[in-house]
Amino acid sequence: MEQKTKHPFQDSWHSIMNSYGQVFFSKSPVFAIILLIVTFFDVYAGIAGLLAVAISNAMAYFLGLNKYKIVEGAYGFNSLLVGLGIGIYFQPGVEFYIILLLISVMTLFFSVALEGVLGKYGLPYLSVPFLLGIWIVIIGTKGYSALNISERGVYNLNDMYAIGGMTMVRLYEWFNNLAVPESLRIYFKSLSAILFQYHMFAGILIAIGLIYYSRIAFLLSLMGFYTAYYFYFFIGANISELTYSYIGFNYILTAIAIGGFFIVPSRRSVLWVIFLTPLIAITLSSTAYVFSIFQLSVFSLPFNIIVLLFLYVLKFREKDMSKLALVAVQQFSPEKHAYSFNNYLSRFGSLPWIAMKLPFWGEWKITQAHNGKITHQDEWKHAWDFEIVDETDKVYEHDGSKPEDFYCFNKPVIAPADGTVETIINNVEDNEIGEVDVKNNWGNSVVIKHADKLYSQVSHLKKDSIKVEGGQTIKQGELIGYCGNSGRSPEPHLHFQFQSNSAIGSSTISYPISSFIIRKKGQYRFEVSALPGLDQLVSNITTNQMLKDAYHFNPGKKLHFETEQDGEVISHRWKIESDIYNNTYFVCQSTGSKAWFKQIGDVFYFTQYRGKPNTLLYFFYLSSFMVVTAFYQNMQLKDNYPLTVFPNKKWLFLQDFCIPFFKFLKAEYTIKYASLQKGGHERITLTSTATFGRGNKTTGNFAFTIQVTPKGIAQLEINHSGKTIKAINKF
Amino acid sequence: MEKQRYERPMIKKLESNMPNKFGMRTEYRPMTHIDNVAVKDLIDEYGSPLFVISEKTIRNNIRSARKAFETRYPKVQFAWSYKTNYLDAVCRTFHQEGSWAEVVSGFEYDKALHNGVDGSKIIFNGPDKTEEDLNKAIKNNSLIHIDHLDELYAISEIAPGLNKKAQVAIRVNMDTGIYPMWDRFGFNYENGQAWDALNKIMRTDAMELVGLHTHIGTFMLSPNAYAVAAGKLADLAIGIKDKYGHEIKYIDMGGGFASKNKLKGTYLPGTDINPSVNDFAEAITGALINSNFKPDNLPLLILETGRALIDDAANLLGTVISNKRLSDGRRSTILDVGVNILFTSFWYDHKITPAQPFTQYAEDTVLYGPLCMNIDVIRENISLPLLNKGDHVVIQHVGAYNMTQWMQFITLRPRIVMIDPENNVHVIRERETLDRLLEFEKVPDHLKTFDL
Repeated sequence: MEQKTKHPFQDSWHSIMNSYGQVFFSKSPVFAIILLIVTFFDVYAGIAGLLAVAISNAMAYFLGLNKYKIVEGAYGFNSLLVGLGIGIYFQPGVEFYIILLLISVMTLFFSVALEGVLGKYGLPYLSVPFLLGIWIVIIGTKGYSALNISERGVYNLNDMYAIGGMTMVRLYEWFNNLAVPESLRIYFKSLSAILFQYHMFAGILIAIGLIYYSRIAFLLSLMGFYTAYYFYFFIGANISELTYSYIGFNYILTAIAIGGFFIVPSRRSVLWVIFLTPLIAITLSSTAYVFSIFQLSVFSLPFNIIVLLFLYVLKFREKDMSKLALVAVQQFSPEKHAYSFNNYLSRFGSLPWIAMKLPFWGEWKITQAHNGKITHQDEWKHAWDFEIVDETDKVYEHDGSKPEDFYCFNKPVIAPADGTVETIINNVEDNEIGEVDVKNNWGNSVVIKHADKLYSQVSHLKKDSIKVEGGQTIKQGELIGYCGNSGRSPEPHLHFQFQSNSAIGSSTISYPISSFIIRKKGQYRFEVSALPGLDQLVSNITTNQMLKDAYHFNPGKKLHFETEQDGEVISHRWKIESDIYNNTYFVCQSTGSKAWFKQIGDVFYFTQYRGKPNTLLYFFYLSSFMVVTAFYQNMQLKDNYPLTVFPNKKWLFLQDFCIPFFKFLKAEYTIKYASLQKGGHERITLTSTATFGRGNKTTGNFAFTIQVTPKGIAQLEINHSGKTIKAINKF
Repeated sequence: MEKQRYERPMIKKLESNMPNKFGMRTEYRPMTHIDNVAVKDLIDEYGSPLFVISEKTIRNNIRSARKAFETRYPKVQFAWSYKTNYLDAVCRTFHQEGSWAEVVSGFEYDKALHNGVDGSKIIFNGPDKTEEDLNKAIKNNSLIHIDHLDELYAISEIAPGLNKKAQVAIRVNMDTGIYPMWDRFGFNYENGQAWDALNKIMRTDAMELVGLHTHIGTFMLSPNAYAVAAGKLADLAIGIKDKYGHEIKYIDMGGGFASKNKLKGTYLPGTDINPSVNDFAEAITGALINSNFKPDNLPLLILETGRALIDDAANLLGTVISNKRLSDGRRSTILDVGVNILFTSFWYDHKITPAQPFTQYAEDTVLYGPLCMNIDVIRENISLPLLNKGDHVVIQHVGAYNMTQWMQFITLRPRIVMIDPENNVHVIRERETLDRLLEFEKVPDHLKTFDL
């Protein structure tokens, strides 16, 4: 069965559940069910909420809005809140349900309109549609005589009796009299207030759900709340704002949104939560004062104002974007944001993923690296100089008195990546050895544009040797010109730098070379996404086409593996798919598990895995976490997995709480290029390991053997705790 | 202080234009050591004559050749030309440096296998491949470079029986503007033979066309000829892609690079006039890069360079047997090195240097070998210091072809030693003995005895 053609019922179920979860930025079904139950503590309000969601989602579906977003609950949660709000406020009745139907649709319209308006600025619409919806209803229905204001909620005990008789009343009393500190009591009640409930039991249930959904979100909710609580004391504010109307949920929601949902959780994000909380308090008081004129509650207005304001401000940053990083791909889990972001940053950095190669063929030596002593300083510190040396480390033959004596002179210079040729200088004379031309500092140069704000420049080329023209597109590996000795160059060498605009000699930026090889004392070493250093002998890797083909997965491709367990053959069918953000991933058709991957230049990366930690796809993810598609005998590579794939969930639970601050779990990956067999039976064997542990202690270990043939990945063998699983590709 | 050497007296006509009181001096030094090992010690221990191969020089040669190509082209592979020197120790040094094997006979093929080269890294050239050879080569996935149509037909008959696709290339000969044009090997480019063969290969399932091969000549002194050849092969490759949608994996430019030896009939020394590997690299890679191959899809460039990588890595040590004056007054010197072990003396004016100190006086001499044959002349005319019986000489740049084309004739073939990078000497081929030779011989019973 195909993953995409789900039962329609399943889709509507998910769309409803996700609408509940979205209130807390969650897609966890368990948390959603808890929230659903809590809303039904007031049965009529619960019904109203559910109806509102159903109406809103159904309308969205019939209007033909994006199905993916409907299922995600993006169009449902504001209507849910409106439904709950007016469900509490009004007595049920035919009139009420007509109003509910209308306002649910209206809220949906608001959601879509705000998505359009705010989406342009890359901002979420949060619960602004809810605010508009509920204010309109409350003001607009003031004159509707057929609508009766509910008296429920005024007499809590009556409601309790109505739900569960005397037992319920006693339970409620017992619960309210529990020796819970006052502040915690307010915290729970504030939590419950998000769903228009005003009692501790609901709050506790929500808190449990919140812990289940996300440890970080729970921690943040406490942090936001208590910062506010103590701020009220400190500033002498009206504490009844917190205790009476339980409007404190504004602090809780802001803390989760800023601390971990829209921003990657980190020490910085937590500090910002603490800093922003007093601002919410002030916004809350001031807006409440204004809105009281209209006899309106501000509901979540302060939360909306502060979060939108802050996110918008962050978008205008021009540097240090990775320090308080906005979540690029929403994963609906602060934990995942934290783990995958840190992992992502260490693997790919914060710049666009363009595979940069070295701008030459063969092996060259770095005679000046970043922050070089001679000229690579200040604005031009992120640059390299390359020369060619012989076995005795000399850069020239004969007496080195002519440029032609230098090994690098007149050697081809190639494009480091695809791009467009922007700027060219081709007419500067080559210097005599020892002379420098400070007038034409850069000599003959070419600047290539690879992406917005990412340009590369090669300099000191030979006069009239440039083979490209301005404006032409160029492919990686294409000849640009020949190494020379023009400009500020006392002896032939190649200057190479990345910069953020097209002018020759712009200030440089640090950008890694995607993959290259270092030779040291006869030994070769792979480097992936790194900056080559001084005196290193570096060369581009030579791709192994078979390996590259085997690790090339186009969306739509299908794979079929078979494993044998206890004499029984099990089929594993995977399909490659891509989402609307153009992320590509494997889907296991039987387990539904997913593994995201990227192919950047000559390197295949798995980025994330979602699913059970015992599927074949999980093992494949672990085994091929990073594969450089080149073969160099016995070469080894290392990397770290994101902790989301850590197999022991108990330890991970503990790690979740402290991930904004420190990491104590480890998940390490190594891969070794074991053997290459050529000819008609061409076969490459790779061996990789996954090691999990705490601190220095190893707690789990997997060993993998991957066999690659011209047809693709032929076999994957998994060794774990004495057991061996062999998966054969059925091509 | 060392005792002054005795040198025989000589009379020489002063021929210089600007005479001075010292006359013309011979400004060159004796070659007393090879890789820091004394020539005298080598001869004392291993006998004379003696071939001495420098492992360090081999490694330097292949490394700088690789550098010359690899810094100019992204995908380069050298294949060691076995016929140039197929001593196991030499071949394995090249294989350690990453070279594949290029063989031209069943014997050489087996030798490559014996050296541990994987079948898929053996290039099988040459006009004589027996059915048995082809069988083996197809089974081992070796790269078979087809020389003629009969070979093509043989492969298309053999391969289906082995249930394998033969990995083949064709050898192409062409006009590259040099004389003589080599057209006896492979299929001609200009008259359409090459396309004829390619069409035949593309239309059979028995073979997979993996490459194109050419070898335009030997001891080439014109790098430009290679540029022409590379351009023509590139055109063929692109033609195949256009016509059949098939991409070949490599272009094999063969060998033929000149070494630093001085060809007979040239005036200046080879070190001054012969193009360097860099010049050849520049020509070949330039032609390929500027051809119509897409920059991200350039074929592998294979080079079968032999001579240029090994010639200067070997020296032949010899000893003076006697000095003699000829009837016309010329001096002659007889060495213990004959043309039977120095085949290349027919082509080159080998550089020959005494291995012991000498004075500045030199005399024109004819160098003869020890054979009782009129053809045994090492150098017809060479200006040498005054050598005495028992003195040693070093004949330089003898690495290519001598140790494969030599023959057992009149004398037995000498030892070959190799000096490793740490200057240790290893015997890599023992001297021939009578017993060893007699092992091949059989005497019919009726010839076993005789009375004189």
